[in-house]
Amino acid sequence: MGSLSAGLNIALQSLLTEQGAISTTSNNIANVNTPGYARQRADLLENSPVLIGNLTFGTGVHLQGVTSLRDPILDIRVNQETQQQGQLSAFISTGQQIQALFNEASGTGLQAPLTAFFNSFSRLSSDPSNLNARQGVLTAAQNLATAFNRTSSNLTTVQRNVDLSVTQSVNQINALTSQIASVNAQVNAATNAGQNPGPFIDQRQQLLNQLSSLVDVSEIDAGNGSLTLTTSSGAPLVVGNQAFQLTTQPDLNTGLQHIFSQGTDITAKITAGQLAGQLQVRDKEIPSVQSSLDTLAANLATAVNTQHQAGFDLNGAAGSNLFAPPPAGGVGAASSLKVVITDPTKVAASQDGTSGDNANANAILALQNQTIVNGQNPLNFYSGVVFNLGNDISTAQGNQQAGDLVLRQIQNLQGGVSGVDINEEAANLIRFQNAYQAAAHVASVIDSLLQTTIDIVGP
Amino acid sequence: MSIRINPNLLPDLLAAVQQNDVNQNVATQELASGRAVNQLSDNPAAAAAIVANHHQSSQDDQFLQNITTLQSKFQVADSTLSNVVTVLTRAISLGTEGANGTLNQSERQAIASEVQGLISQTASLANTTYQGTYLFGGTAVTAQPFTLNTSTFAVTYNGNNNTASVQLSTGNSIGANLPGSQLFQNASGSVFGALQALNTALTSGNNIPAAVTQVQNALSQINTQRVFYGNALNQINLSETFLNQDKVNLSSQENALIGVDPAKAASDLIQAQVAKQSTLSATGRILNLPTLLDFIK
Repeated sequence: MGSLSAGLNIALQSLLTEQGAISTTSNNIANVNTPGYARQRADLLENSPVLIGNLTFGTGVHLQGVTSLRDPILDIRVNQETQQQGQLSAFISTGQQIQALFNEASGTGLQAPLTAFFNSFSRLSSDPSNLNARQGVLTAAQNLATAFNRTSSNLTTVQRNVDLSVTQSVNQINALTSQIASVNAQVNAATNAGQNPGPFIDQRQQLLNQLSSLVDVSEIDAGNGSLTLTTSSGAPLVVGNQAFQLTTQPDLNTGLQHIFSQGTDITAKITAGQLAGQLQVRDKEIPSVQSSLDTLAANLATAVNTQHQAGFDLNGAAGSNLFAPPPAGGVGAASSLKVVITDPTKVAASQDGTSGDNANANAILALQNQTIVNGQNPLNFYSGVVFNLGNDISTAQGNQQAGDLVLRQIQNLQGGVSGVDINEEAANLIRFQNAYQAAAHVASVIDSLLQTTIDIVGP
Repeated sequence: MSIRINPNLLPDLLAAVQQNDVNQNVATQELASGRAVNQLSDNPAAAAAIVANHHQSSQDDQFLQNITTLQSKFQVADSTLSNVVTVLTRAISLGTEGANGTLNQSERQAIASEVQGLISQTASLANTTYQGTYLFGGTAVTAQPFTLNTSTFAVTYNGNNNTASVQLSTGNSIGANLPGSQLFQNASGSVFGALQALNTALTSGNNIPAAVTQVQNALSQINTQRVFYGNALNQINLSETFLNQDKVNLSSQENALIGVDPAKAASDLIQAQVAKQSTLSATGRILNLPTLLDFIK
């Protein structure tokens, strides 16, 4: 048979337990808008019963602990999608700067100067000895060269700017991995001490999510709540309470920053996150456009030069190079394209040496329809460059939109597990309040019973 | 147990508002620029196709300019030849006059000197220039093609027999000149040869009718050659019509590729605005929904 004092004890413990539950609820409500916060649950547990004679009596309730509610699988999925989004966003934002250089719909691009260059020979052909028409050829060639130079140097500028962003991204990654390493230690300590590591995990998940937007991260559970983070190619980022910093070092040839982990160049192995998007633009998209421009400039200059040399100028002298010969292999041809003739009489329009012959001008004009650039005519080749660039960005935009939907759905699922619902908390609050009030009442009743008993005994 | 839903509706609501903003922006941009393709990524295929379209269109512009140049050149050449015809007609009547047996030597000499005048007039016609270049020197356009020996009245051709051809439209070329040798010293009727023969015949009094016949042959030869310029002018006019039509086609193709349908863009804009308003009003209501707390006193 349970004693009165035991009953009082149960009531008091109940008061403490409900108080703990109310405090958990209060904490949940307080953090309703805190990013990364996972709602907490007070775990109430029935005390072990006591056996008195052959009767079993309950001994009340106690607060076993407070658990943060999160689904680790969803957390990982959110991080994965965030990595993809980070990469696509970085690619698209820089890609838009590149495609602005080739906006053919509004007439800013290389089509206009290319066409004007060939048109100048068309005009020359209709009046081959006219000095204005000849000067027109030189001006158009000069404009074409300038357009190639400018576009190429703009691409380089974008590339340098992205390179700066790469360094910044690496610095951000390093700052985050240091923070994660120290939080990792706290999670580990809390877990080992049997405490709720939830708040630390919240913090770590929040940091990890930021890190995911920057770089591809693989998470490995190292036990005791500790996480080991590596890039997807296995370069360590965080192991236990230790962060492994990434370093950058400029490439000797290009001057662009390469990324090193523990002395190994991992630049080409970064597959997701903002950093990957930046590297994709810097190391693939821009060089590919740049090299297409070089190919176009080199082949065009060579073909025009060859044909120009086959003709004769206004004075009947053999034609010379119109453009400076492009560098061997074509690398840098776009940035170095240059007109070397300044005297309009030196334009070789004639094929037989007479001043009124236009056959060579016609032949240069006809180059526009000949497959002189990688098996394509110059304009078609250029329009292929335009298409590929637009298509890369458009594909990335499509993927980003689709990925965004997925991310939001997973975040909703995550919110379903971890989000604080005010209604639920209010209901819990009432529940715990009622229980607290009831326990207090029980205590007061037992108190009065004890008083009665004491009165019976008398002073 | 029912599935717990995400109590935080804000991200979804904001995403909806943002999507409406994007739609509204796109429609506004389309209306403002008149183009449905404002960046390559809006429609890469159309942006690539527009390169060829713009190229062709501005090429057509250049062809039209070339045509204007050729047109004036051909007109000058044609009217020069028409003057030569006048000269030859005059020579024939002079020859017929000189063939009259009642004329004495000094009268024939007077006629002959008029013929000599016609010869130098023809020589200067044959040396006609257009914007500083000789029209009848073949492709040697900077040197005077015909030189007249003022004592023998013999004319030498210094030009060549080449012709230049100019594109009128893609794949369609036209000869831009007739060499002076073909026009004025043609084997089947040489203008200068005939005039010189007439001069000699009048001076000597012999073979005048034969010389007149020669001039008549030269006249018919010139008329035959003149057909070239007539045809060329016709061909040019046809090309001009073709090019203008091509430009209309290209411009409608451009419109189909990157142009915006104003009615559609306007209705898109209105739709986006309405959608935004309803999303905002729904968002306002959802965020203002009472919670359980409102009912606990």
